[in-house]
Amino acid sequence: MKTLRSLALILLPLLLGALSSYLAQVFWKPIPVLVFKVDAAMTIFVVGVFVTLLLAAVTVGDWRKRKETSREIDKVKKVEDESRRRFIHRLDHEIKNPLTGLQAALVNLQEAPGPEERRQAGLNAHRAVERLRRLLADLRKLSDLEERQLECLPVDIPGLLDEMVEAARSLPEHGNRQINLMVSRVPWPLPTVTGDRDLLGLAFYNLVDNALKFTSGKDTVEVRAREDGKVIIIEVADSGPGIPADESARIFEELYRGANARGVEGSGLGLALVRRIVGLHGGEIQVRSKQAGGGGTVFTVRIPMTKQ
Amino acid sequence: MTTRQTLLLADDDPAVTDSLAPFLERAGFHVLVAIDRKNALEKAQSHKPDMIILDVLMPRLDGREVLRRLRHANLWTPTILLTQVGEAAERALALEEGADDYLNKPFDPHELLARIRAVLRRVKPGQPSLSSSWLLIADGLTLDRRARRAELNEVILDLTPKAFAVLEYLMVHPDECINRERLLEAVWGWEYPAGTRTVDTRMAELRRALNDDPEQPRFIETVPSEGYRFIAEVRSG
Repeated sequence: MKTLRSLALILLPLLLGALSSYLAQVFWKPIPVLVFKVDAAMTIFVVGVFVTLLLAAVTVGDWRKRKETSREIDKVKKVEDESRRRFIHRLDHEIKNPLTGLQAALVNLQEAPGPEERRQAGLNAHRAVERLRRLLADLRKLSDLEERQLECLPVDIPGLLDEMVEAARSLPEHGNRQINLMVSRVPWPLPTVTGDRDLLGLAFYNLVDNALKFTSGKDTVEVRAREDGKVIIIEVADSGPGIPADESARIFEELYRGANARGVEGSGLGLALVRRIVGLHGGEIQVRSKQAGGGGTVFTVRIPMTKQ
Repeated sequence: MTTRQTLLLADDDPAVTDSLAPFLERAGFHVLVAIDRKNALEKAQSHKPDMIILDVLMPRLDGREVLRRLRHANLWTPTILLTQVGEAAERALALEEGADDYLNKPFDPHELLARIRAVLRRVKPGQPSLSSSWLLIADGLTLDRRARRAELNEVILDLTPKAFAVLEYLMVHPDECINRERLLEAVWGWEYPAGTRTVDTRMAELRRALNDDPEQPRFIETVPSEGYRFIAEVRSG
């Protein structure tokens, strides 16, 4: 847009000149002939002035462009700095809690008066370690995704969804809850997407696991898959309490924990991983949620179909 | 009475060695600790331990470099590499340098103990193990690890890279029951809750390619509620 305008500005004098020359030819009759007499020295000087003006215009334009770019870089850097600062702050928080638990458990272990207390302290220490281990494992996945080579093979989405839904609902904490899986089969079976089956599986698993985690037994969870000719659309929806409006943009950030998520088990990296994986497959993810009127949340993933 | 076997534990972080060494001692081993590369090489050559446990990423001790030099000196002491990061490239390298097994940090010490015992059972002292061999052969099945190619009766198998890596891991550890979690860690480098199903999917793919009947397996046996075992005899080619 900006380049178009400056191009128009450059061409304006030319157009005006052409127009007035045409008008002069039509209306100014007889058209007078102007005769100049200039000495050669003066001509050379004028040419010099012109060239200088031209160069000056180019340089000034360049300057301005460079300044603008550096301003933009600064802006990006600021956003990055801010998000890094936030990340470290959250990481600090995520490490602090299990570590405090571990410290207390170790003291209890040393001072335990009897075997039952010792056993309990040991159990607590284990739990704290387990939480730290899980956090580390997810952090590693995130960093691994940066350098990992994606497998690029056709992936059958319905089969994968079936597997992941089964895996998530069979976890003991989800007590075999009902999940409705709906895959469009008519007019033709769902085409494949090209990508890394294991990574996509991880992404869908995280979405389904999240839906189960943030809802209760009486809520419904639905997983749907369809296509629109270009992309496969996978939706994971639940009738749970919903996400506050001001949080829904931030839930994909690393280690972000919304008001609902405090006290819920998890590394805080699940959705960040999902977004990264979907992005690596050239897709996108969105969330819509409301808290009013019973609430509800739907995550929509769009991934390009395998090109025929 | 059998003599205690000697382990060389090479890690430059006392937080690790201070707790691991007594644990391994309690498990019945004699444990030597090395905290840098020079120390590790010296102790490996002078004490001739039965096994080396080497950390990969250390500022003063590059585990891979140590392993390379040992193998170069024709010292085939069985080795388990401890890695700090689960990058796929690093795991592939660990195999390339002839480590007998590897374990991602952090790990449960009992898991390390299980690996140590499995490797000690498998290797023949003083001889290169299957893990340092580029070509593995088992009953008509040939695995070219450098070219990442598998052939069955001289027909190239169409395997995904993951399935190949699973087959490779199984063939390097024949006759050993390997559970799904371990395969995940070794081949995927990740653990995740749905992972065990992921392993089963790849195993089904592998069996289709090998034309191996799970009921009457020629290569891969399912050990109910445990894992998988490569049952054909493997030799290096």
